[in-house]
Amino acid sequence: MPLSSLKPKMRPHSSLKQEFLKKWIMGLQRCSFSKKNMSILERKKAIKFSADIAMASARNGTTCWSRSLISNASKEGSDIHVVEQILGSESDRPAVENKVPTRRASVCKKIVKRSCRIRRRRRRRKCVASAPSSIAKHLVRKRREVLKSLIPGGEFMNEICLIEETLDYITSLRVQVDVMRSLASASVRASE
Amino acid sequence: MDVGEKDKFELEKRNENGINYQGSGMSAAWQFAGGGNLTSTPMSLVPSDNPLVIGSSSGSASMVDSFCSNLWEHPSNSQSLGFCDINVQNGASSSNAMGITKGGPASMSSSIDRQFDMAWNAASSMLKGGMFLPNATGILPQSPSQLPADSAFIERAAKFSSFNGGSFSEMVNPFGIPESMAVYNRGVGLMQGTQNVFAIGGLKSVSGVESQKSKLIATETSGDACLKTENRATQESPHKNERRSESLVWSNEEARQENGGSGNESNEAESSDGVGGQDEPSALHSTGCEPSAKGVSSKKRRRSIQDVETDQAKGSQSPVDAAKDGAENQQKGDRDQSTVMNKTTTKHGKQGSQASDPPKEEYIHVRARRGQATNSHSLAERVRREKISERMKFLQDLVPGCSKVTGKAVMLDEIINYVQSLQRQVEFLSMKLATVNPRLDCNIEGLLEKDIFKSRAGPSALGFSPDLSVCYTLLHPSQPGLVPGGLPVMGNNADFMRRTLGSHFTPMAGGFKEPNQLSNAWEDELHSAVQMNYGAGAPSNSQEVNGSQPSGHAEVEL
Repeated sequence: MPLSSLKPKMRPHSSLKQEFLKKWIMGLQRCSFSKKNMSILERKKAIKFSADIAMASARNGTTCWSRSLISNASKEGSDIHVVEQILGSESDRPAVENKVPTRRASVCKKIVKRSCRIRRRRRRRKCVASAPSSIAKHLVRKRREVLKSLIPGGEFMNEICLIEETLDYITSLRVQVDVMRSLASASVRASE
Repeated sequence: MDVGEKDKFELEKRNENGINYQGSGMSAAWQFAGGGNLTSTPMSLVPSDNPLVIGSSSGSASMVDSFCSNLWEHPSNSQSLGFCDINVQNGASSSNAMGITKGGPASMSSSIDRQFDMAWNAASSMLKGGMFLPNATGILPQSPSQLPADSAFIERAAKFSSFNGGSFSEMVNPFGIPESMAVYNRGVGLMQGTQNVFAIGGLKSVSGVESQKSKLIATETSGDACLKTENRATQESPHKNERRSESLVWSNEEARQENGGSGNESNEAESSDGVGGQDEPSALHSTGCEPSAKGVSSKKRRRSIQDVETDQAKGSQSPVDAAKDGAENQQKGDRDQSTVMNKTTTKHGKQGSQASDPPKEEYIHVRARRGQATNSHSLAERVRREKISERMKFLQDLVPGCSKVTGKAVMLDEIINYVQSLQRQVEFLSMKLATVNPRLDCNIEGLLEKDIFKSRAGPSALGFSPDLSVCYTLLHPSQPGLVPGGLPVMGNNADFMRRTLGSHFTPMAGGFKEPNQLSNAWEDELHSAVQMNYGAGAPSNSQEVNGSQPSGHAEVEL
């Protein structure tokens, strides 16, 4: 598989599932300790939250998206204990702190880029479809922006990094979906 | 084929169809939405409302169908989402139209092309849910905002149609059309790409504009594109559907007539050079240019065009490289050359090849322009692009349905859709879990069952992977945390679990004993007090067993 050959980060699916499952259980346990009699939405949020954190922590801070996800989650005071539980003694916390200054710089960069982009867009709209290369770039750029918005922490990545992160993120999401789906089907079956 | 009759038929049909499909607000809205909105809209729409997307897709499909039927008197207005059918019709009609009227000033064609592109993009965005050409979606966001120039477009279309039998080569000229086409299809061949866009865009714009002539033009262009593609296709390995090849053959014939040797020769040369790498090349050698080659979907045509283009790109690598080397004799020497070669392909793919007739020249021209930038810049850019394309290939493997797509924009589209759908799935599943389980803790028992199911589904080959240590370490810290929490819950369900596990395990052969152990490991982890014996391999509380079982399970899952 070309992926595994070039991406050492890619772990076999099954081990990832196992890890995710364990961490997720941990997170859920922690959530259920803190709040009893949660509403359905709260439960859903807790489930998803712990799942996301578990997914991100499974990467052990190797990927940008996981770090960003964990740092975002750590910002909320209410659920931080869940994050801590799942992360345990892992080194994601220092990574979280390191992200903050980067973010500020990236935000500034983003603002500058955005203004330039707007200026460029205005100029471009005047010359409609001038060069095919510019059109292609425009298309690709738009899509890249969308992708950046989808991937957690994607705004701070360059294109190459973005694609790598996307690859990893897709794998993790798949694992997450598989585990959750089998759990849901099992629960449904159990409740019947 | 009786073109005249067809035209009349088209007119009548078009009017009907125009009304029909304009009635579909969604498609209309999608068609004429702003450029940025258009891109974003399909994305948001597609993932969130699948039925909606399907409905709209079918709507647009019906629109396209109507157009196709106009062109080819094809009565089937199948609402099926199989866009291929529509494309087939389109291809057929377009090829027919191509035969009828060809040529036209390059400027006009470029403007028309633009219009087509916009319409094409709009349509493709509408049919985003995988129904439309994946390539087409790449073109999409291009400029739905430009579509408003419909009246001008109609005029141009009229002029264009008047150029019956005009020099096809002119129309196909790289000036405007091929360039725009190239943009859409990364690696798409020169002329074919353009013409494809023409055809498709024409169809779409027609829907918006209801101009018969535009349709003709579209069909013409698509026909030409098909013809061109076919030239190359014949030399490429057959891969694709016969339908595609048919239309391509048909169009190629016409193109050949018009363009004579120049463009075709270059194309052929390139394709011959580039043969081999392409998966996509349609089985263009399927024979006959028959006007009735309606089986080709524009989607397939585009793909073949892309294949041809990539082939051409490859073929043109050497001339381009030569030019490039001359342009930038940069230090890196061999490395430069290799990167240049790689980049050339990718670059061509991305920007599309402008020239249809003299593709090589176009490429070279582009490259020369680029070479004027600082050497380090262009080289670094090329390296960067190479990396990106490399990773995109990985993504192609990962994202389902992306293997046939070439072109960065389209690929990114697919990736975005996939990520969005996965995220939505997670949301949905978490909500489902929240509803099914009254308490979060209840998930644990379900998890165990799920593990059993997973292990059952997995292959029987069980081994202990190096992950054992990982699982082992993970298990232990979790135990103290989990056991107290899980015990009260699990205690209630222990019997249930045992029963479930037992029932699941009875049909299992001896080879599946590890899953037993695994489930046992899980349970032990959660409530150490509970011991479950399912025959061989009693897990007990031994930590080694616990550590090994998950890994065994992991192997099974693999």
